[in-house]
Amino acid sequence: MSTRQTQGTTLFTALLALIGIGVVVQLWLLAATVDAVLRHESGTPLHAAIGSGVVFAINAVLVLAVFNFDRRINS
Amino acid sequence: MADNEKDGCVACKKKSRWREDFPVEWESDNYITRREMVKFLALGSLTIAGANFVLAGLPHLAKAAQLPRTRIGLASSLPVGGSKLFAYPTEEDPCILVRQANGDLVAYSQVCTHLSCAVVHNEEENALFCPCHHGYFTVAEGRPYAGPPTRPLPRIKLEQQGNEIFAIGVEVG
Repeated sequence: MSTRQTQGTTLFTALLALIGIGVVVQLWLLAATVDAVLRHESGTPLHAAIGSGVVFAINAVLVLAVFNFDRRINS
Repeated sequence: MADNEKDGCVACKKKSRWREDFPVEWESDNYITRREMVKFLALGSLTIAGANFVLAGLPHLAKAAQLPRTRIGLASSLPVGGSKLFAYPTEEDPCILVRQANGDLVAYSQVCTHLSCAVVHNEEENALFCPCHHGYFTVAEGRPYAGPPTRPLPRIKLEQQGNEIFAIGVEVG
């Protein structure tokens, strides 16, 4: 395995872990939203939804970075 | 003697007939690559964000939905300190109408916010009382002040036209 491939594997694994952490944070936000909706709170669900959207945007950027990097390595 | 046996290939000799007919390797079949995992997590992230936005929008949609205007009864038929049971907004939603000592009318959902028992009016203590776990709510605001309930009773919005009282909406929390 070349140095570039090793670097790629490390980067891929790190980004995978970051995306995984993002999904866990989103699950926590979803649980908080369900809790707030059942308590008839109006502010928390909106803030949690915005937070979840931001985390998804970060995840999407990371996924695109992963696939761009993958394409560059393969070409 | 077969060639396989000459080479000592015992596994080849023991290979079942069905494996030859269905040459599926389970190990490779269940193998998930990191790329697949990334795609799965990205889709999961999108789904969770979508669910979060839907949940955040639900209360606003519920508010936008128009509640019916339901006649409760005649104001003059309710003496000071008296109470009357009615259903609003559907027949499955029991409510209680109370005339306070100052003559004002207030109405609340009869469902206790603790464990959904029916609250009753306690005239002596001027409170709405839940007999299941001894929860007390103020008549003026529906706030819990004793017992296990922590959330106020949903308040029914009232409208008086002449001598008639109508329920026109529900205020939660």
